[in-house]
Amino acid sequence: MTGRERMRAVMTGGTPDRVPVMCQLALGHYFLNAGLDAIDIWHDTEAFAEALVTLQRRYGFDGILVNLPGRDPDWRSAIDAVEAEPDDPATRRIRWRDGRVTIAPPDETPWVVAANGSSTRPAFDDVDPDGLLYVEPHDLSGAKYPFSWGFDGEPAPLDPDRFFPKWHTDTLLRVRARVPDVSVHAEVFSPFSQLMELCDHESVLMALVLDPERVDAALSRLAEGASRLAVLWAGTDCDAILVSSAFVGGGLISREDYARFELPHLRRIVRAVHEARPGLPVYVHTCGALGDRLDLVAESGVSGIDTLDPPPLGDVELEDAFREVGDRLFLKGNLDPVGTLLEGTVDDVRTAGYQRLAAARGHGGYILSTACSVPSHAPPENIMALRGIVDESHA
Amino acid sequence: MDDVLEELAATIRGHGRDSHERAEELVRTALEDETTPEVILESSLVPAMADVGRRFRDREIFVPQVLVSSRAMQAALRVLEPLLTPGAFETRGHVVIGTVKGDVHDIGKNLVAMLLRGSGFVVTDLGINVPMQRFADTIEEVQPEIVGLSALLTTTMMQMESYVEEWVRLGLRGRVKVMVGGAPVTSAFARKIGADAYGRNASDAVDAALALVEAGRGGTAGERTA
Repeated sequence: MTGRERMRAVMTGGTPDRVPVMCQLALGHYFLNAGLDAIDIWHDTEAFAEALVTLQRRYGFDGILVNLPGRDPDWRSAIDAVEAEPDDPATRRIRWRDGRVTIAPPDETPWVVAANGSSTRPAFDDVDPDGLLYVEPHDLSGAKYPFSWGFDGEPAPLDPDRFFPKWHTDTLLRVRARVPDVSVHAEVFSPFSQLMELCDHESVLMALVLDPERVDAALSRLAEGASRLAVLWAGTDCDAILVSSAFVGGGLISREDYARFELPHLRRIVRAVHEARPGLPVYVHTCGALGDRLDLVAESGVSGIDTLDPPPLGDVELEDAFREVGDRLFLKGNLDPVGTLLEGTVDDVRTAGYQRLAAARGHGGYILSTACSVPSHAPPENIMALRGIVDESHA
Repeated sequence: MDDVLEELAATIRGHGRDSHERAEELVRTALEDETTPEVILESSLVPAMADVGRRFRDREIFVPQVLVSSRAMQAALRVLEPLLTPGAFETRGHVVIGTVKGDVHDIGKNLVAMLLRGSGFVVTDLGINVPMQRFADTIEEVQPEIVGLSALLTTTMMQMESYVEEWVRLGLRGRVKVMVGGAPVTSAFARKIGADAYGRNASDAVDAALALVEAGRGGTAGERTA
C-alpha cells in the first residue's frame, strides 16, 4: 500500500497493511530542521510546501497536515525592513510598510504587534457577531477584527463566496502535486478556536456564563465560515480535513459547555463536507483533558480524533479510548510529545510507541502519532524512530 | 451583619451576570454596618474564593465560572484594599508571577494570579513575555516569598531553567521559592530545572504556594514538585 492508501484504509474503517505513522510538527520544528529560512517558511507558499514535503520524507510519514494556508505571492512587497532583535539576534523583526511588526523567533510561530509594540486583543463585548465570518489565526498579520488578509488593510468581504483569497489553497495544491502517494490533509479552525484566537481569552470564557446567546450567535457566524472553508478544501484533492479545536478540553470548559458551544458547530462542518464530498474523512484535534467527552466528539459525526493527550498532559489512555469510541472513530496520537518525544531518548520513544501499538491491536483504526504537535526542539532521531517501530511491527 | 457577609460570599461563589456590581454593593453595606475591612476579607471573601478553588480542583466548575467569581472578588477588593489597616490583615505571602520571554499566553498565569489573590496572597503580575532581568529586578524590589513562572510553549518552557540559573548567579535564588506551571510543564520537568513546586492547574498552584509559605514559616509542609 502507499501511504495514501494506508491512511485512507484506517480513516474509513478498512484494513491497512501496517499501522500508518503521521505527526503534526510544530512550525518551529520546520524552521529548525527543513533547511530553509524560517521567515520564508512562514510567509511563502512555496517554501512551506517544500518544508512539509522535506520532513515528511525524512521521517517516513504516511501523511502531511498542511497547517498553513497559501500566502499572498506579493508578501515581500509589504516589507519595509528586516532586522535582528537587539537583545536576541536569533530573533528577527520584520517591519512592514503599514507600521506593524512581526516578531520572528528561530524556533517558534511568529506573531504580529502594532507599531507601538502592543498586541491587545479585542474584548468579546467589542465584537459584533454579524461582523464575523472566519478568523484565520495563521494569517500573516494574525487574527484581527474586522478580519483582513495579510497587510492588505481592507476588511475581507463578508460574502462567503468572496471571503477566501484565490491563493488560499495554493500550499495544499503544491504539496498534493509533489507527493501523489502521500495522504494530504487540510485544516480548518473550529468556531470556538477562532473566537478564542481573535478575542481576549477571559472575555470569551466569561461570556459563556454571562452572555451565552451572544456567544452562540458569534459561533454560528464562524461556523458558516468554517463550513465554507471546509467545502473549499473538499473541492481540492485532499484526503482528509482536520478541524483544529484546541480550547474545548476539560482543563478549560465543562462537558455541558462542550455540548453547547462546540458540538453543534462541529456537526455542521462535518455535514457540509459530506454534502460536498461524501465519505471524505473529517477529524478533530483537541488538546488536554478529553476523557470525559469522547462520546460527545463521536456524536459530531467526525471520522476520528487526533491528540488524545495521555497523563500527565491530558487524561486519555489509548485502550480506554478504543473501548469507548473505537467502534465509531479512528484514533490518532496519544504519544506524549513533551515527556517522550522532546525529553526522552530513542529507547523511550520505542517503548512508548510499542505500548500504543499493543493498545491498538484488536481495536479499530489507529495512526501512530504524538498527541499534540511534535515540539520544535524534539530530536529528529526520536521522530524517525516512530517509522522504525511500525516497519518492525509489520515485518 | 452576618447575613450581608453570607450573601457576599454567596455572590462570589455564584456566577451571576451582575455579581461584580452586587459584590461591591454588599461590601459597602457591610462597611456601613461598621464591619471592619479585615473581617469582610477574612470572614467572607477569602473563604468564598477558597471554595471556588476547591470546586475548580474537583471539576465541579470550570475556567469560565472561576473567571466570573474572580471578577466579583476583584470588584470587592477594589473597595476594601484602600481601607485595610497596614498590619491588621496578615497576607499569606507575596508572589511575583509572569509568563517567560517569547511567550505571549496568559490565561493560565492569570487564573493562578486570581486564585492566589483570592486566597490572601499579594500578587505582583508582570504580565507576558517577561525577560529574566525584569523578574530579577522585581525580586530585588518587592522581596517576594515566591516567584511563579508560566509557559504554554515547549520552546519557552525550556527557558525556565535559564531563569532559575540566572537567579542563582545573581544570589537571589536562596531568597525565593520558585513555582512553575503551564500546559507542557510537568512535575518531572520542575524537578529537573530545580524548581521548588509545580502547579498542574491553578488551584493546584495555590495549594503549592500555601505549602511553600507554610514550610518557610517552619510548618510541616515540605517542598512540593509532585
